[in-house]
Amino acid sequence: MIFRLDVTSGEPLFAQLAAQARLAMLRGGLRPGERLPAARELAEALDVNMHTVLHAYQELRDEGLVELRRGRGAVVAGRPPAELDAVQDAVAALVRAARSAHLSATTTTTLVQEAFQR
Amino acid sequence: MTTTPRPDRFPAPNLRPEAPAPGGWRRHARATALWSGGIALALLVAAALVAASWADELPDPVATHWSGSGGPDGFSSLGGAIAVGLGVGALCVVVFSAITWFWGRAASTRRIMASTTIWLAGLVSLTLVGMLDQQRGLADAHEAGSVGGVVLLAVLLPLLPAAAAALLVHPDPPLPATTAVAADARRTALRPDERAAWVGRATGRALPAVVLGSTIVVVAVAVASQLWFLLAVAVLLLVLLLSMGAFHVRVSASGLTVRSVFGWPRTTVPADEVERADVVQVSPTRDFGGYGWRLGREGRTGIVVRAGEALEVTRTGGRRLVVTVDDAADAAALLNTMAERARAAR
Repeated sequence: MIFRLDVTSGEPLFAQLAAQARLAMLRGGLRPGERLPAARELAEALDVNMHTVLHAYQELRDEGLVELRRGRGAVVAGRPPAELDAVQDAVAALVRAARSAHLSATTTTTLVQEAFQR
Repeated sequence: MTTTPRPDRFPAPNLRPEAPAPGGWRRHARATALWSGGIALALLVAAALVAASWADELPDPVATHWSGSGGPDGFSSLGGAIAVGLGVGALCVVVFSAITWFWGRAASTRRIMASTTIWLAGLVSLTLVGMLDQQRGLADAHEAGSVGGVVLLAVLLPLLPAAAAALLVHPDPPLPATTAVAADARRTALRPDERAAWVGRATGRALPAVVLGSTIVVVAVAVASQLWFLLAVAVLLLVLLLSMGAFHVRVSASGLTVRSVFGWPRTTVPADEVERADVVQVSPTRDFGGYGWRLGREGRTGIVVRAGEALEVTRTGGRRLVVTVDDAADAAALLNTMAERARAAR
């Protein structure tokens, strides 16, 4: 799977990685039993510190989404409890509304982030 | 007049002074074919001369084949034995060297072919010399003992010069692309500051199954026939499985990296040498003649662990690399995007 990092965003790098892995599990791109990339490999590929990746994996472990085992790395343990369908419907409605109001994707994303911080 | 070159029809290549001319691989391919083939033939001729020098000490006929239970069951004249060894060995060396000469575009191909050529010549030479050495001083070749030890040595000992040959092969010089990434190749939408990496694994059931199956057969035969040297063959098969059975595949800003889970063999394609990356369907036997690290038609290098979806990277210098991975579309799109970024950074 593809991991992305926006170093200019205010969101911590480990949180960005954890969010993408969570989303991939929800969408079925990462299934239970599958292995996440080795922390060192992913850190090298994204040019970040290995502890950033480990931090993301530890967060996923604390949520019960992955198991961390010595020598085996991070293995997907289960699906996140969230039901994605309702959120995806709401996002589709949001995008429709933003388009009709001629708002850019960046502006809309900022609105969503502000709403989360309230 | 289709054969007349029309250089005026092509734009002048924008080559930097230190960039090697396109097709520069041919020089390396021919040199590798000549030195590896030359050393291999020299080994075979040396073995034949040593064998011929023992003519007075050897029985006539000499034993040339051994049954499973250890005793000799095939015989020929000394001249015939030397001719068969020299003939079979030289034929293989000529075929392998021709493959290096014509298709040795990539250093990995040249490395595999040079070491295989030298290993095979070593195997044939040591088998010939070793089996005859056992018969020196015998009045009748029927008294010749088992050749298990000879075969074991003949398989293992040439691995050393073969590894040395692989190290001697000239690596590919940097050859940055001079053209833009193909416009019709897929891309990943990335913001200018955004970093991205694709991480995947090439795994399949076919190769482990075949190697595990043949390992079990070899061990069973070794136990049944008490030919213990066969156990060394089983160990070699297991090492082969470990080194070729599964690969870590990674696309990042620096390009593509494919690395065996064993750590070796491995290969990289720098982002600035990628002309385009695509998704292709692979039939292992039809396209590459089997599984593992393969040389396919038109000098295409294949890292093939299963049939189906694969990432194909077209690299400068006419090199193409195919890796069987799931999710190849994402990998190809990101590699094209990273190749474009590498051009922009120059």
